[in-house]
Amino acid sequence: MTQTLRQSGTLLGFATILIFLTIQLPETFLTARNLINISQQLSMLAVVAATMTIVMVMNDFDLSVGSMASLAGIVAAVLFAAGFPVWVGLLAALSVGLLGGLFNGFLVSILGILPFVATLGTLTVFSGTAFLMSDGKTIFGRDIPEGFSGFARAGIEIGDMKIPFLTLTALAVILVCWFILEQTNFGRRLYAIGGNREAAHLAGIRVKRLRLMAFALTGLGAAGAGLMYAARVASANPTQGSGLMLDAIAAVFLGMTMSRQGEPRVLYTLVGVLMLGVLDNGLTQLRVDSYVREILVGLIVISAVAIAAFSKRNTAC
Amino acid sequence: MHRLEFRNMCKAYGGAKALDGVDLSLSGGRVHALMGENGAGKSTLIKLLAGVVPADVLFVSVDDIEIALTSAQAAQRAGFRFIHQELNIVPQVSVAENMLLGRTFPRRFGLAVDWKQVNARAQDALAFLGADHIDVRALAGDLTTGDRMLMKIAAAFVTDPITDERAVLYVLDEPTAALTSAESELLFDVIARLAATGAAVLYVSHRIDEVLRICDVVTVLRDGRLVSSGPTSATDKAQIIRDMTGRNVADAFPVAAASPAPDVIVSMDRVSAGRLSDITFDLHAGEVIGIAGLANAGQGTFLETFIGLHKVTSGHAQLRGVALPRSPEQAWRRGIAYLPRERRSEGLMLNMSIRANIALPHLTGVQANASRERHMAETLSSQMRLKCEHLDQPVTQLSGGNQQKVLFARALYGLPDLLLLDEPTRGVDVGAKYDIYCTVREASAKGCAILMTSSDLPELLGMCDRIIVLHDGRQAHMLDCDGLTSSDLLSHFYGAKAA
Repeated sequence: MTQTLRQSGTLLGFATILIFLTIQLPETFLTARNLINISQQLSMLAVVAATMTIVMVMNDFDLSVGSMASLAGIVAAVLFAAGFPVWVGLLAALSVGLLGGLFNGFLVSILGILPFVATLGTLTVFSGTAFLMSDGKTIFGRDIPEGFSGFARAGIEIGDMKIPFLTLTALAVILVCWFILEQTNFGRRLYAIGGNREAAHLAGIRVKRLRLMAFALTGLGAAGAGLMYAARVASANPTQGSGLMLDAIAAVFLGMTMSRQGEPRVLYTLVGVLMLGVLDNGLTQLRVDSYVREILVGLIVISAVAIAAFSKRNTAC
Repeated sequence: MHRLEFRNMCKAYGGAKALDGVDLSLSGGRVHALMGENGAGKSTLIKLLAGVVPADVLFVSVDDIEIALTSAQAAQRAGFRFIHQELNIVPQVSVAENMLLGRTFPRRFGLAVDWKQVNARAQDALAFLGADHIDVRALAGDLTTGDRMLMKIAAAFVTDPITDERAVLYVLDEPTAALTSAESELLFDVIARLAATGAAVLYVSHRIDEVLRICDVVTVLRDGRLVSSGPTSATDKAQIIRDMTGRNVADAFPVAAASPAPDVIVSMDRVSAGRLSDITFDLHAGEVIGIAGLANAGQGTFLETFIGLHKVTSGHAQLRGVALPRSPEQAWRRGIAYLPRERRSEGLMLNMSIRANIALPHLTGVQANASRERHMAETLSSQMRLKCEHLDQPVTQLSGGNQQKVLFARALYGLPDLLLLDEPTRGVDVGAKYDIYCTVREASAKGCAILMTSSDLPELLGMCDRIIVLHDGRQAHMLDCDGLTSSDLLSHFYGAKAA
């Protein structure tokens, strides 16, 4: 009973937000156009949160995703400005993401540094590198090729609606993460590491290697999201990804309140992302101050997690 | 002289009776020994006296005045002082602070801690023990193990002007386990002085020679019941060992169906690894070898060596003619299954399903195969007589015995060549124990070679073909179990000369 209440509490909260916004914004909120807009707005967050779920499954987390997203955008933009073709920029940015993630994994898994400390360190390293490469300036205008930024504006036309490529990309990433975590033995092993790392090691799981790989995937996802961001605003600056990290962790936490044992699941993370995205969109339309929005998001995450922890304690006794 | 009576002590955990109607009377000025095997109920008895575990039934009187031991504070007020065997120290603070931990620190002006007083009191207590070579200002973490133990012991003698009542009972739980013989002598001297103050001393120890030397009365527990109690002068080592172990185990273990096969699974020749040395034996298919010794003699390390957790530093160690695996991952792949000692912290993912826990080491290929896992879990759990609602139930909801069966199911999938069992029946109820014994027999009948540790001597004797006795990591004896008794085995733990 408490179990169901705990699991459905966050969904009920989400439903309340939807109903509230539909009533407050009868003309604009529940329209196909707005919903598509929302899906595009939160596509970057969805990618970061989905890949963040991969490390959080093991009870780890990655604070450096935001600055990695910024760095990836800068790497691509700098190469574009130097006249390299689009594919070179994309490949380089994604490689930087993979390498940065591997470096995080190396610090956490091989050297045994706590994820909080290790990724806090790389957060500033990545961010500093982004500033250094861009000279602290925003790269925009003619430096960003049409072939790159055009992707963010294009989409697949269905009837008189256009599903943006960014939305489709996010869906694809979520699908891949879902497949990795839920349908492969790799995912099973990650959950086992999260369940009990020592026991997993003694049961023959290569804990070090898997943690390394998981962090690499999260880094790759962050870089991908950074590219999507840069394409969408047709520019790159060394701080533009910084908001992603907290929102991504918040989304995973919201999702964790919905799962049976409180473990992260990609599809529940997606619900968390939608919740944050919808709230953001609705409050902007209601002309609520963005600072108020931040306070609200913080309170929602805290109360969802608190309710989950409280009811879990009750069921355990 | 004080007179302490503890009557009809009973305590059950779930259905298992840890203490069953034990009477104990202690008199001031005398040193009283409490002995018994692991699991005999000694620690439970001490916890009841300390008031940290509520008794089911317990009548206590001190000098004919009835008291209730409902909390640790009540025990403290009654004048009971405890020296526990665990070395719980706070390494980052000074010796003096460690010694006064949990007491009211002396203060100046009601506010600031009076460090001079703190140090002086700690110093006095250490001097009383005769251990004033320890600097009270040194960090506790910098002390040697023996000095740490002395520090813990001395902490029981710190005087406290606010609540200073004369102690009527000192309980010492395995105090010499970490002490050298010189340090032990210091302690024995103190024990004599404590007894001389008129307090009673309850001395818990495995070391029979010590007990015979310094104790006046000895009480032996077995399976939660009182077996014998009487003056030390009226008993001897052999009698105490018989009292501690003497249960009839003839029909409690299923008999072996077949004798070991000729092929050698494990071959060790004067192997050193981790803290182990001189390990020499051949283990054949279908054979069960037990690893025994006093607590912490290296039994766990012995098994861990076979899953690559300790590097072989010298000698020849081979599994089926090839060097031992270097990681748990290689071990499972080469047909070694390991059942860890601590099932909750080292064995199970408690929040995950029975199915996921069983299948974990046996996942193959890229894509997960739920139906194969379910099939695997179904077959093994019915073979293990696992009691559960369904296989997707989280293991945290199972009883200890059933959790252990989950680990057995995991270990037995695909029938390993070598099965490593670290205390396989620890914390398991009697019914599940028998199921586990049958499972072990079945596996060995199918040709699985087994190494197992246990602190339950009858279990080792009932299940094993041979037993290796370790003395502080060194292989001291290789015993054939035919005709071996618990007393014989136990005497081998204490050194070669005892009989």
